[in-house]
This record gives sequence, C-alpha cells and structure tokens, in this order.
Amino acid sequence: MNIIEAKNLTKHFDGVLAIDRLSFSVANGTITGIIGPNGSGKTTLTNILSGMIPKDNGMIIIDGVALERLKSYDARRYGIARTFQNVRVFEQMSVLDNLLVVVTERNVWGALFERHGEYHRARVLEVLERIGLRDKQTALARTLSYGQRKLLEIGRALLTDARVYLFDEPFAGLFPEMAKLIVTIIHELKADGKTVILIEHNMELIRELCDTVIVMDSGRLLAEGAPKNVLKKREVLEAYLGE
Amino acid sequence: MSILPQLIINSIIAGATYTLITLGFNLAYGTTKFLNAVHGSLAAVAGYIVFFLGRSFGLSIVPSAALGIFGASVLGVVIWRLVFRPLRHRGASPAVLFLSSLGVFTMIQAVLAILFTSQFQQLGNVGSPRYEFFGAVITKPQVIIILAGIFIFATLFILLNKTMFGKAVKAIADDEEVARIIGIQTDSVTTLVFAISSGIAGLAGILIGIDIGIQPTMGLWVFLEGAISAIVGGIGNIYGGVLGSFLLGFAENFGIWKISGAWKPAIAFGILIVFLTLRPKGIVRN
Ligand SMILES: Nc1ncnc2c1ncn2[C@@H]1O[C@H](COP(=O)(O)OP(=O)(O)O)[C@@H](O)[C@H]1O
Ligand SMILES: [Mg+2]
Repeated sequence: MNIIEAKNLTKHFDGVLAIDRLSFSVANGTITGIIGPNGSGKTTLTNILSGMIPKDNGMIIIDGVALERLKSYDARRYGIARTFQNVRVFEQMSVLDNLLVVVTERNVWGALFERHGEYHRARVLEVLERIGLRDKQTALARTLSYGQRKLLEIGRALLTDARVYLFDEPFAGLFPEMAKLIVTIIHELKADGKTVILIEHNMELIRELCDTVIVMDSGRLLAEGAPKNVLKKREVLEAYLGE
Repeated sequence: MSILPQLIINSIIAGATYTLITLGFNLAYGTTKFLNAVHGSLAAVAGYIVFFLGRSFGLSIVPSAALGIFGASVLGVVIWRLVFRPLRHRGASPAVLFLSSLGVFTMIQAVLAILFTSQFQQLGNVGSPRYEFFGAVITKPQVIIILAGIFIFATLFILLNKTMFGKAVKAIADDEEVARIIGIQTDSVTTLVFAISSGIAGLAGILIGIDIGIQPTMGLWVFLEGAISAIVGGIGNIYGGVLGSFLLGFAENFGIWKISGAWKPAIAFGILIVFLTLRPKGIVRN
C-alpha cells in the first residue's frame, strides 16, 4: 500500500524547472531517502508535498486520495508533518510553548478560555524527553543552539501525530550526539508504523536507515530502489561527483 | 501653584489613551504585519454609534457603549474578511495593504461626515464630576480612561500568556506559514484577533468621545497616535506599545508647557523621526 504517490509532478520558478515530470511512490511504513545534488529539487518537492507551494502539473495521491490542490492547512489534516532545511521554530516562544501550541485545541472559541491541561503537558514532556530538551523547557527558542532548534522542530512534528514525516536534511550540521537522537527517533517512527521521507547527503546514514532511496537530478528522477542497489549505480555517482 | 502636577496628570491621561489605541493596533499588527489605518476609523465609528443611539433612542451611555464596541468589532472583522484577507491571499505586500486600508479609512470618514455632518460632538453629559489632588484636576471620564487602559492591558496579558489562544496568536505572529502546517486554525485565530483589536479601538474611540469629543476626522489622529506609539515602542509588541504610549503622552504634554498646544502633532512626529533614525526597531526590539 502506497501512502504517497506522485505522477508527472512538475514545478518551475520563472525560468528554472525545479521539478521535472517526477513520478515515484512511497510505501506506507517505510523510510524513503531522497538524495541528489544541491538544487536538484528535493526541498521543492517537500514544499509541494506539505502544501506550502502549489505544483504546476501532475498528480499527488495521498493514501489513495488524488489531490488537485494541497494547501498548507491540509498538511495536518492528511497527517503530513515536516521540518525545514533552514530551521523554522517559533523564535519568540519558549521551548515548552513551541510544543504546547501544537496540541492546542482546534476550536478557537474554546482556546480563548482554555489552558493546557495535564494531558497536553504529559504528551509534551514525553516528546521533550525524546528530543533531549527537557531541561530547556523555559528557554526561548531563539536562545537554543542550531542543533537544539532542529530537535525542537522534530519534536513539533512528532506532536502533530502525523502518518508521514518529511525531514529536510535533519542531520546537517549536527554533533554526533544529536544525530544519534534523531536516528533513534526515525527508528521509533518506523516501529510505530509511520512513514518517513528523509532528505540526506550522508550515504552512510541513507544505507543505515532507508528501505528505499530516490535519486533526483535537475528535478528529475534519476534512480529509485534499495540503497545497496541504487548507491552503486554509475549515473548516481556521477551526479554527485559532477556537482 | 505649580503646573507640574497637572502636566503629569495630563501626560498620564494621554498615555493611557494612546495605550488603549496601541494595544489593539499592536495585537493586529503582530499577527498580520501591516499598518492598518482602519483601526482609527473604528474608533470614530464606535463613537458615532454611541452618539446616534443616545440622540435617536435616548439610550444611556453604558448600553450604547457596549453596542458601539460590538459594532466596531463586527465592522473590523467584516473589513478584514472582505478587503485585507483576500488581498493577503493574493500575496499583497504590507505597503499595498496599508494603502488599501487608507482607502477604506477615507470611505468610512466620508460616510460618517455624510450621516452626521463634520461637526464636533460631545458624548455623554459634559458636566461630569472632577476630582482634585496635589492641585491637579482630573475628570471622571479621564479616570475611566486610565482604568480602562489598565483593564485592557491586564486582559490582553492574560489572554496572550495564559490561554491556548494566546499561544496560537504568538505562533502566527512568529511564522504564520509554519503555524498553518502544524494545524493551527490561522484563519479563525486571525479573525478573532481582529474582533478583539477592533473592539478595543471602539472602546478607545468612545472614551475619547466622552473626554474630548468626536468628529469624522478623528480616525486619522487616532491612527497616527496609535501607530507612532507602536513604532516608538517596538511595533507588534504590546508591552513596547505601552511604553511608547506613555513616552508620547509625556513628551507631548511637557513639550507644550511653554508653547501652544497646536505643536502636539509636531512633537509626535518629531519623536517618530528621532526613533526611526536612531532606533528604528523601537524601545523594545524584537
Ligand atoms: N521559491 C523559489 N523561487 C525561485 N526559485 C526557487 C525557489 N525554490 C527553489 N528554487 C529553485 O529550484 C531549484 C531546486 O531547489 P531546491 O528544491 O531547493 O533544491 P535542493 O533542496 O535539492 O537543494 C533550484 O534551482 C532553486 O534555485
Ligand atoms: Mg534543499
């Protein structure tokens, strides 16, 4: 069963063709890696799949439902969570509030008078534990280190209770300790039956984590398959070396 | 007798008035990031609702003020949904939104002038009681302005810091797109923000009407004083706005100690220019 299918996806910015007739599918409950040189369209793909920018052409099928237009407020509804290559946490809010806001009651009138209950706090504390920021609760997000902000962003994604997690270069620039936390989280997500799409340049991590890898080059699909098969293909190596 | 106590009292009254204007202004600015001139119009509209209800139906000040605040709130939301929200969806820049707000502002001012003439009107009974201390005089409406300023500030503080709604507002202020992706109902939250900020603008307009009086053109003055206080304090920051309001209130009133009151606007703009040049992000930098 595929949780995400893309058919002939196309997106251009002015003169640049960022995504070029891209078709692929992601099986439910798997970890799919996306690799490709800088500028090959990986982030653009993530933006389209999370509803942040519209596609030009093609089709997106999520859990069997073909979507004409995915909007950013659809992301949570369809169970899609993401992180950003250039971290985007709520800078002016505390670590705790960055997470509590995710479990905010959806009803706005209710939210006007309601405070976060024990249930919400317990969920947030559990996630704080997983991302190793328990003793940073009251710190403003903007005072965190780069790596801590990346973890906070992952924590926020976890709390949306999504089915699909799009991680855009989560390991880039992290110390090994933090990278290990993220590896653990990705393993846990898989054990939970969740789907992970991981954009990553480190081939060791791709081999270790991914069931499938998609290789992109200039917006096109260059190769797709199990990492051990794909990563030794000549055109894949050339795409990277030719960077 | 020294004039100093009176100057201080006048400065505090002005500071509280600007605080009322700026609190709503900053709340909306923080979430939507554009200067909304309509904020001033709504103060005038609420003032005229009270004036109309009193003149035509003999309604007393408290119920008519409640209706005036409600009316401003509803109108603020309607304008948000009919004008600004569609423009934002089409990617309008803050400058375009500001210009369109000036358009709506002009329309409202014209309608008020047609309906009620351009004449100056006083709300409520003029012969209100006066209190005296340390040789300074303060009227009952002015006491109410100060109390209202404190009350609205405290209410907003609780709303923003203690409720789930407040966290959602802060998240939207910080990064609206991300807020939407994580499932915050940004549209409903922003609508509610406009309802609240417009209602506060209405309250400010009514209190100004009782203290000083109303005129269709008052919206411009309300908008400018609110915007200047906000910018001086650190725009979008409701605490900074309070500081900006009192700085402006004291500067204006002490500034005209020896010169004509006609210089007040010049003082306000002078402060604005000083801040824009020396400290463009305001007292409380974000
Ligand atoms: N918002 C945008 N406006 C204009 N061009 C863009 C935009 N986003 C991406 N691009 C272009 O699309 C191409 C793909 O970029 P991106 O998806 O960020 O690649 P990757 O994440 O694989 O490095 C690049 O040429 C980039 O310059
Ligand atoms: Mg990228």
